[in-house]
Amino acid sequence: MRGSPRTWTILLLSPSVGLLAVFVFIPMALSIWLSFQQWSTQTPFTAAHWIGLGNYSEIFGYGPVGRDFRQALANTLIYSAESIVVILPLSVALAVLLHQAALRKNHILRTVLFSTYMVPMVAVALVWSKLYSPAEGPINQALGWIGIAPLSWLSSPDTALSSLVMLNVWQQTGYFTVLAVAGLTQIPTTIIEAARIDGARGLKFFWRVTLPLLRRTLLFSGIIALINAVQVFEPVAMITQGGPVGSTNVVTYHIRRVGIERSEGGLGSAMAMIVMLILGALVSAIFAAAGRRSEA
Amino acid sequence: MFFSQQSVVLLYLTAAMIWRLRTHMARWTAMVVVCAFCQGWTLSARAQNPTVTISFLTHWPPETVAKLSAAAKAYMKDHPGTSIQIRAVPFADLLTTLRSQAGGSNAPTLASIYSLWLPELVRDAIVTEAPEADAAEIRKDWSESAVTAATVDGKIYGYPNEIDLYALNYNKELFAAAGIAGPPKTWDELLADAERLTKREGGHVTQQGFGSINSWAAGVVHPFASLLASNGGALVVDGKPALDSKAATETFGFIQKLIDAKVTDPSMGTADANTTGPYLDNFIAGKTAMIIMANWWESALRAGMGQHFANVATAPIPVGPSGNGSHAISYSWLTVVNAAASETQRRAAWDFLRWLDSPESGQNGASAMGDLLVSMGILPSRQSDVAAFSQRLASNFLAGYVSQLKAAQPFPVVLGGQEFTDALQHHLEAMQFGQERAPQAQAQAQRDAASILGNAAR
Repeated sequence: MRGSPRTWTILLLSPSVGLLAVFVFIPMALSIWLSFQQWSTQTPFTAAHWIGLGNYSEIFGYGPVGRDFRQALANTLIYSAESIVVILPLSVALAVLLHQAALRKNHILRTVLFSTYMVPMVAVALVWSKLYSPAEGPINQALGWIGIAPLSWLSSPDTALSSLVMLNVWQQTGYFTVLAVAGLTQIPTTIIEAARIDGARGLKFFWRVTLPLLRRTLLFSGIIALINAVQVFEPVAMITQGGPVGSTNVVTYHIRRVGIERSEGGLGSAMAMIVMLILGALVSAIFAAAGRRSEA
Repeated sequence: MFFSQQSVVLLYLTAAMIWRLRTHMARWTAMVVVCAFCQGWTLSARAQNPTVTISFLTHWPPETVAKLSAAAKAYMKDHPGTSIQIRAVPFADLLTTLRSQAGGSNAPTLASIYSLWLPELVRDAIVTEAPEADAAEIRKDWSESAVTAATVDGKIYGYPNEIDLYALNYNKELFAAAGIAGPPKTWDELLADAERLTKREGGHVTQQGFGSINSWAAGVVHPFASLLASNGGALVVDGKPALDSKAATETFGFIQKLIDAKVTDPSMGTADANTTGPYLDNFIAGKTAMIIMANWWESALRAGMGQHFANVATAPIPVGPSGNGSHAISYSWLTVVNAAASETQRRAAWDFLRWLDSPESGQNGASAMGDLLVSMGILPSRQSDVAAFSQRLASNFLAGYVSQLKAAQPFPVVLGGQEFTDALQHHLEAMQFGQERAPQAQAQAQRDAASILGNAAR
C-alpha cells in the first residue's frame, strides 16, 4: 500500500465524517446561527436578520413566550425523571426474573415483553387515549368494580403528565429489559460462583454483586431513556395537545408550535439550543458521576 | 391501465411484421421508423391533453372527504387533463402540515384554512391572491362577512366555504327531568339552571349543568368570546386587545361563578387532536346538560346519539348584565391556493375551486361544496347554497344557529391571532382548574394579548 497512514486515515474516515458534517454538524451550526436571528421559516435564510441575544432574552423574559417555554422545559424534565425512575428499576426487576434458570430459555416471554416496543407510538397513543377515557375508559371501569371513583387521567393538569409517563413506561420497559438481560448474561459465572461460596444470597447478592456489575448497562440505558424521554412528541400531539393548562406541553411539541405553526424559526432555534445545552450538560454529568464511581 | 387493449394488439402485429423482414438492416430501419412515429404520437397526444396534478388538503372527517373525492372525480371526468388528490389530516395538524410543506415539491395546491390564519399566511407569501374574475364572483355571490374573512388589505385570497357560529346547545330531556321549561336567556338564569341540572355523588359530579371545554384553543376561547359579545364586549377593538373592559371583567367574573358553584367539571370537558373526546362523549351520554358549541358538531352528535339527537335543542347565547342582546361569535373557513405551486397548477386549482363552489357542481341549484358542508351540519356561505338548502337549514338544530347569523360578531382576524387565542385559552383553562382567579386571569390575559399583538404588528 502506498501513501502515508495519515492520508489513509483521512481517506477512510472522510465518508463517515462527511455524512456527519452534512446531516449533523451543518444543521447544528445553522441552528446556532439562526438562534441569533429573526427569521420566519417561510422565508429563505437570506431574509434572516441579526438580533443578537433577542430571542434568548425573550425566552428568559417574563412574557408569554418565556412563561410557556419554561413550563414546557419543566414538564419535559419531570416527564424524563419520572420515566427513568420507573423504567430502569422495573426493567432490572423483570430482567432478573427472566434471567432465572427456570425462565432463561423462555423466548416467548421475552418476545411478549419486547413487543410493546415494536408497536408504533402513534398506535400506542390512540389506544391509551381510549383506555384513559374518563367516562367509558376500561381503566376507570375496572377501578369502579373495586369501588374506586373514576380518575381524571388526561383531563386534569395534576395527573395528565403522569398518565403520559405511564404510557411511556408501558412501551419502553420491554426494550430496557432486553438490555438488562444482555447485561446480566455478561456477568462472569466465576464471580457469581465465588459470591455464592462466600454466602451471598437473595437481596444481598443482588445489591452487592448483580447491581454493581450491571452499572455499565444501566448507564447506557439511563442515557438512552433520558434522550428518548426528552424527545417525547407523538402522545402529546395526538392526545393532549399540550393541555390541560399546558400541563403536558413538552419542549419538542412547543418548539414545533413556535417554529412551524407560528413560523418563528429564530425563536424556535434558540429554544432548541437551550434544550441541547441542558441535555448535553445532563449527559456529561451522568458520565462524570459514573466515571468518579468506577475510579473509586 | 397503461396501454389499451387495441394498443397491445397493434404493437404485437407491428412487431410480427418487422420480424418477417428479411435482413437485419431492414428490421432495424423499420424499428427506428416505428419508434419515431410512436414518440411523435405520444408528444402530440400530450400537447393536446396536458396532465396537471393538484392536491387538496383538508381536516374534514372521512365521510366528508369521500364526498369531496366524489366531486373531484366528477370534475376530472369532464377535465381529463387534471388529476386531483385529496389529503386529510387531523385539525390539530392542518396548519403545521400546510406551513411545513408550503414550499416543497409535495406541497398541497389547495387547502381549506381557518380565516384566523390568513393574515400570517399572506404575510409569509404562502397563499396566492384570487384572480380578478374569481374575486369579482366571490364579492357578488357570497355574504359580506364571508368575503371580509377571506380578504387581507383589500385583496381576496380564496373561496369562502364554511361559516360557523356558536349557540347554546341543551338537552331537553335533562331540562324536563329537572323541571325547567326552557333554555336560559340571561346569565343569572344560566347559572340557576346549571345548579338545578348538576348531579353529584359523594362530591363527584355525575352530571354537569354546564360544559366547559379545555385542551382546544377555539373550543375554550370562542364560547368565552360569545359570552363577552353577549355582554356588550369584544376581544379586540381597533387591533388592540380589549380584555380590560368592564364587559370583560363581568365575563371573567361570570365564568368564575360557574366554576365556584361547581356546576361545570373540567375533567368532563377535555378535547383531543381531532376536536372530539370527553367533552363530546359527555354531551352525547347525557352527562352534560348545556354547552356553548358551534353548529359543525351536528354530524358528530347525530352519529353518537342516534334517535336521542332529537333531545338536543339550540338557543341563543344568554345575555350578560351589560349586553344589549345575544351575539354569537362566528368564524369562517376558506379554500386557498398555494403560492408556490406552478402556474399550471394554480390555474387548474382556481378552475376546480370555481367549479366546486358553483351551482353547476351540485344538485338543485346547490354547489358540491355546499352539499358536503351541509352534510356535516355546517352553514354554507354562498348565498345560492343558503337558498338551495333552506329546508335543511330550517331543521330544529340548525335553525337556532341560522337565526343568530345576522347578530353574530366575526372572530377578530388579526396578525398574531392564533397566538393570542392560545394565550387566552391558557388563562381560561387555569381558571377552570383553579390555578388562577378571575381578576388575575383577566389581567394576565390582557398583558399577554398586548405583548403578542404588539409583536405581531411590528
